Amino acid sequence: MSDKNVLFQVEDEELENAVQEDEGVDSRKYLIFTVDDLKIGIDAEQVVEIMNAYSATYLPMMPSYIQGVFNMRGQIIPIMDIRLRLGKPPAEEGILIVIDYNNNQLGIQVDSVDLMLDIPVESIVPIPSQSAQKLVSGMCTLPDGSGTMLVLDCEQLIAHGCGD
Amino acid sequence: MSNNDILDMYIYETNTLLEQLESIVLDAEKENTFSQDNVNEIFRIMHTIKGSSAMMEFDTLARVSHRIEDMFFLIREGTMSVVKDEDRPALFDVMLHSVDYFREEMEKVEAEQPLNEDVDSFLGNINSLIAKIKGEEIPAEPAPPAAAPAPAAEAAPAAPVPAQTTEGSAEFPFGLRVFFDEGCGMENLRAFMLVTSVQGFCAEADFTYQPAGVESDSSLSEVVIEHGFLLQFRSEEDRARAVPIVMTAGSVHSYEEQNYVPAPPPAAEPAPAAAEAAPAAQKAAAAPAPQSGAAQQHPQGQGQKESLISVGLSKLDQLSAIVGEIVITEAMVTGSPDLKGLHLDAFSKSARQLRKLTDELQDVSMSLRMIPVSNTFQKMNRIVRDMCKKLNKQVKLTLVGENTEVDKTIVDSIGDPIMHMVRNSMDHGIEENVEDRIAAGKDPVGEILLSAQDTGSEVIIQISDDGAGVNDEAVLAKAIRNGIASPDVEYSHKEILNFLMAPGFSTNAQVTEFSGRGVGMDVVKSGVESLGGSVSITSEQGKGMTTIMRIPLTMAIMDGMEVSVGDSIFTIPINNIRSSIKLTEADILHDSVDGEMVKMLDGYYPVIRARDFYNLPGGAERIDDGILMWLESGDCSYCLFVDELLGEQQIVVKPLPAYVNNFDIKNYGITGCSILGDGNISIILDAGGLYAAARNA
Repeated sequence: MSDKNVLFQVEDEELENAVQEDEGVDSRKYLIFTVDDLKIGIDAEQVVEIMNAYSATYLPMMPSYIQGVFNMRGQIIPIMDIRLRLGKPPAEEGILIVIDYNNNQLGIQVDSVDLMLDIPVESIVPIPSQSAQKLVSGMCTLPDGSGTMLVLDCEQLIAHGCGD
Repeated sequence: MSNNDILDMYIYETNTLLEQLESIVLDAEKENTFSQDNVNEIFRIMHTIKGSSAMMEFDTLARVSHRIEDMFFLIREGTMSVVKDEDRPALFDVMLHSVDYFREEMEKVEAEQPLNEDVDSFLGNINSLIAKIKGEEIPAEPAPPAAAPAPAAEAAPAAPVPAQTTEGSAEFPFGLRVFFDEGCGMENLRAFMLVTSVQGFCAEADFTYQPAGVESDSSLSEVVIEHGFLLQFRSEEDRARAVPIVMTAGSVHSYEEQNYVPAPPPAAEPAPAAAEAAPAAQKAAAAPAPQSGAAQQHPQGQGQKESLISVGLSKLDQLSAIVGEIVITEAMVTGSPDLKGLHLDAFSKSARQLRKLTDELQDVSMSLRMIPVSNTFQKMNRIVRDMCKKLNKQVKLTLVGENTEVDKTIVDSIGDPIMHMVRNSMDHGIEENVEDRIAAGKDPVGEILLSAQDTGSEVIIQISDDGAGVNDEAVLAKAIRNGIASPDVEYSHKEILNFLMAPGFSTNAQVTEFSGRGVGMDVVKSGVESLGGSVSITSEQGKGMTTIMRIPLTMAIMDGMEVSVGDSIFTIPINNIRSSIKLTEADILHDSVDGEMVKMLDGYYPVIRARDFYNLPGGAERIDDGILMWLESGDCSYCLFVDELLGEQQIVVKPLPAYVNNFDIKNYGITGCSILGDGNISIILDAGGLYAAARNA
């Protein structure tokens, strides 16, 4: 296992402090990352770890978007290149977000991790039906006006492994 | 302790008793009589089931067990001679039926389904049997069951009453001492149920009870039996209210009210003990011999109970997981690249010690999960017996090596495969007619041999019968009819036997109650393979058939050979490796469909190139640059071409992540992963699965 795992703890904490001002509204924390200029948010409760150094072991007979598996403190976790999963060209390197959804763990390789944000639940709207993206469960405009965030549907991401 | 825990305990206890009962009955049936010990044991078992079922308010169960208890009371009084020879088979049948009945009901209890209320016909069977037994039994007037022990039970606690009133405290002066029916079982839980019902009207601060901790410590049953269960109340009214509850509670034999009287301080503590001991001793002297014998046995039995604890399997799993981690970490520390080139005497010494200890720790943690296969084997006795009756065949079952210990998960999962095989042997193997056997010069009584053997790395379970054996032509014809085999191909004897294990194959034209539904052998095969094992069949026509299941002993840790292909590292179980050979391109033979083979010793074996099969990004292309691993699993034998042998290592098998399993990777011969000493991951190959996948590719 690589011992250069850098947690973005310090940054995260600062971000948390910054956004905890407007309490009272029913809101959830989202971790926002970038994939090919798209901003995608993931429920922070499902995020286990963010790491930028890891070594993947190639696992044969898997779809191309599964880069392989890696060893996180004795646990074997598959790595998915979210770019390939979303049908985008692969990137040279990225950052790994390890998520845990119902005890299914999965590492997602993304371009970069931006920030953690509290987002009021009611501001998340369903995506327009004609552009139904399988892996996205909703979207919302970011409070700072910097763009639109797509909410990643972890259930679809993990359950529909074998779909294609 | 909640009601649910009590229910769990009841189910567990009853199931254990039923298992005991079944094996007694099966053994007794062979002797065609119950020994007096057996009768006493059955009586005790039924009594306990009756008591606990009544407590749990399963009336039908209590009624049935009560009748059986009555029946065995008669047999106990008059010995087995009261049962006429012609009635004995009926007696054994009724007993086995009742075991089945209770098991079924237990399953319903567990599933929280309503119990079968209609037990009249079953009770009728028992009653008519009792009537038959009684028919012979008129002269010997049976004494009422409780008559003999009852006075003793009553007298013993009655004596120390005056002294015991000093027990308790001024705070809770109003005592209520409750005695339960002798032998009702689970006295501690009954006592605790009283506490729960008292809590219904009386605040917890207003009463107390002795002995404390009855809800969790079953050894306190002994105390409750001997001294009764003492409830102490702050006020007299509360006690008065508790009396009707105690009176209506199940299995309460008697109760007495007692008031606290302060005793002279020095005598307060030792007095009750001494006072109790004295009358008890007198009683023991006066009582008939068995009574005192029983009293002496009790503490012994208790001691044995305390040396065993039951632990949840999940805790053991956790333990073995952690031990696995330690084994890896140990290899990581002692094999650390930082140490290269250093001469560290003290460190190497400590490292050796650490290795020794981790090995030991691993052995111990593995042994915790090992249980003998005897339970699973014993169950087959029942199946053979029942099928003998149904099919009208005479077969004896011989068990060999039933004390072989294997991992709990294996024991749980070999039960069904073994049962399938035994049924198959009973149904298809052993000849229909005894005449056929005699004509073939065989013992008229068929034999099924069930054996278990531990070879150190795997457990071999063998089921063989001395029946008619497999008829190759019939099997082949059937396989062709079912579309499994092609009519144009010549099949070897071995291949034909393998058809038996193909899905959807069943040679028996008739679907019987026991077999012939087209599932069976393939279920056996997949069941065993899911344990990482293999199944093979051998048969000689007219001599019988033998099925051998080989199951790796411990699945969590195994010896593997690490090989590399490009950047990937694979681990092949040592058990599957026959040898490794370096060959040149010239040794490779090609067949008409781009397949490759090599000739070794006695035959030709296909070559599978790991790089091509798995589409690996790197790896040797020329046979000269790599090495061939000759692998065997079950009936397949082939060569796997890899780059390099890295060495043998003991590895901890980790299952593939659930997400990865979605992709059916198991069908390509990949069974799991293992973390190497340097933190990298190797992929564990399943030699059989890889071969099957390559052939289908």
